[in-house]
Amino acid sequence: MNLICLVKFVPDVEDFKYDVTRNVLIRENVKMILNPDDACALAFCLKVKEKDPETFVEIVSMAPTSVVGHLEDLLRRNFDQATLISDRMYVGSDTYVTSRILARYLEGKTFDCILTGTHSLDGDTSHVPSQVGEALRLHQISNIVKIEETQFKTGWPVVDVDSERFISSYRVGLPAILSVSKDSKYKLPFVKFKNLDLDVSAKIKIITNRELGFRADEVGLEGSLTQVAHTFTRNLQKEDRVFVKTDEEGIDTVYDFLHAKGFI
Amino acid sequence: MDKATLLEELSGFLTKDQINTNYDDLYDASADRYKKYAKARKVLDVPLPTAIVYPNNTEEVSKLLVFCNDNRINVIPRGGKTATEGGLENWKELTLVIDADRLNKIIKVDEYNMQATVEAGVRLQELEDVLRARGYTTGHSPQSKPVAKFGGLVATRSIGQFSTLYGGIEDMVVGLECVFPNGHISRIKNVSRRAGGPDIRHIAIGNEGTLCYITEVTVKIFKYFPENNKFYGYLIKDVDTGIKVLREVMANGYRPSVARTYSEEDAHQHFYHFHDGKCVLIFMAEGNKDIVEATCRGIEASVEKFKDGILEYVDSKLIEGWFNHLNWSQKDIDDEFEGMLEKDYHAGFTTEISADWETIPKIYANVMNRVRNEFPRAHDLTMLGGHSSHSYINGTNMYFVYNYNINCEPEDEMRIYHHPLQTIIVEETLKLGGSMCHHHGIGKYRNEWTKEEHGSAYYMLEKLKETFDPNGIMNFGTIYPQEEGVKFQK
Repeated sequence: MNLICLVKFVPDVEDFKYDVTRNVLIRENVKMILNPDDACALAFCLKVKEKDPETFVEIVSMAPTSVVGHLEDLLRRNFDQATLISDRMYVGSDTYVTSRILARYLEGKTFDCILTGTHSLDGDTSHVPSQVGEALRLHQISNIVKIEETQFKTGWPVVDVDSERFISSYRVGLPAILSVSKDSKYKLPFVKFKNLDLDVSAKIKIITNRELGFRADEVGLEGSLTQVAHTFTRNLQKEDRVFVKTDEEGIDTVYDFLHAKGFI
Repeated sequence: MDKATLLEELSGFLTKDQINTNYDDLYDASADRYKKYAKARKVLDVPLPTAIVYPNNTEEVSKLLVFCNDNRINVIPRGGKTATEGGLENWKELTLVIDADRLNKIIKVDEYNMQATVEAGVRLQELEDVLRARGYTTGHSPQSKPVAKFGGLVATRSIGQFSTLYGGIEDMVVGLECVFPNGHISRIKNVSRRAGGPDIRHIAIGNEGTLCYITEVTVKIFKYFPENNKFYGYLIKDVDTGIKVLREVMANGYRPSVARTYSEEDAHQHFYHFHDGKCVLIFMAEGNKDIVEATCRGIEASVEKFKDGILEYVDSKLIEGWFNHLNWSQKDIDDEFEGMLEKDYHAGFTTEISADWETIPKIYANVMNRVRNEFPRAHDLTMLGGHSSHSYINGTNMYFVYNYNINCEPEDEMRIYHHPLQTIIVEETLKLGGSMCHHHGIGKYRNEWTKEEHGSAYYMLEKLKETFDPNGIMNFGTIYPQEEGVKFQK
């Protein structure tokens, strides 16, 4: 099978920075992490590859070139190729423009399925997977918590979707875009000790606007119809700490607290 | 000899219930707490021992050792299973773990001569409970007290949390019985002191199961005066200030049972309820009333001398509360194990070293500097600090404490995190003339530095091994470096 996995590296929420004058995320020099939902999508791809070693998995990401190290880190976990779409023209692109850019790259590819995460930590709109699906005229399903692996190979997998109150099952024909939730049980393995310094540079391909051919007014801030109007920092309040002993009074205090919060 | 033959021959002189080949038990016996995370996740890379055997008495230990010696079978002596440095880890395909479980008798409590004799498999807590009921104490209180057994305590040169008053296990053992690989049983008699040649107790004490199997131990006992306990606590400017106060107390001849200095980071995890982001200095004085009063005066005078570095006094009740929850029970160990099954997390690791007073602060500073600047996974560290907890007239120890987010597979954790950190600590310690292991023993993962630790005296260590264990059957890879074991280390 040929699988493509769309991933995004997001600023570590512990170290979040935003350029309020330009209304863009400052992605350089900020500690970036792999978006948790995307990590689950990747993990599913590896599970498929583990059972069927002939499976070819390409990771596709749109990001500054500073994420190359992160892509190498992923490649050391047995992925076959990473494609980084990166061009200064694309800085500030909204979700629709981002989806168009990704779709333009993907429309020239042959694949059995595209896997993505559902939400991203920084944007959280969940627009991109469905918009890419629209552009490629593919079915797309979000909030997937389980993909039936044996049927996956047949081209008609059943997927379990978290619909908040229910888990719904859908049978979907491939190729499609399956967007996995971090609530799935798929866990991305770490790089093995023996592969920590593995040279994977030959497996990384960088695509720029030279290959994709957008006009300047189609992409970036200029080409984006939606723009961030206002940002603000959440006000966090420091709670007083209460220390209790392991006695009746302490137990009552903890019980009352949990009860008041609705846990009991 | 293959495994089946080994088991068949064992059944010739042991009963069925003395031979354990249960898979889960063998898996548990294949490594100790050094690889606790990999062990919990069932990804250990070492061979299972062939069997665990439970001798009923010294003669059976002797028979077992002769059998293993004749057939070149590796032996791992085992007590309470609280080893932390790989001493109980198995590196051989043919291995018998000789467990002291049935050597479990308290032989004699001799109040008049202030000593108690126990078999190797008696838990320290068990003897302590018996002694406390009579108004005595062993004075020995390692964190593992509820679980650890005497054979292991002596074999690893264990130390307790009140060592500054009572000493380490080597100061407590007055005599012992041990068995060598050729079956010879040596009994070292219990005397108050002697000049009958070298002190041969120290061939057995700290041998980590590499020379002999300890079967019986006689230790000193002490009168117990809990009603006189006094506690002191201070927030202090820095680690250096704390070390200076500790030195002042010790150099003036005082022996508080507890004398400790914690870095800010370590204080945070031990004294979360009062540390206030500062270093912490604590003392406990115990013993008879007159001694306690004198010790308290010594502590107070020492603190006064360095008052510029003392930021705040801590309510002694808070220190007493901490004192009452010092030990790890089997439940704590089991809870950590359960936690490791569910999360990429464990309770952290330690590396303990020692040096003289003027060197300890230098080692501490050098280690902190190197870890922060050289350790490739420094960004994963969630805690890095240390404390001095065992002091002597000429120096003290430093207990480096660290934890980290585990961003690797369980089987790689030691190679990526703990061992590189331990390497920095050991290298900096040896560079400045300190000892790389204050009280955990060398085990299997610091054996690459055993020669450097002992220098020209390694000759003596080597000769002991050649003499007492010429076939190399005793705890292969522990203390003595082995080429064959490198694959498990690197």
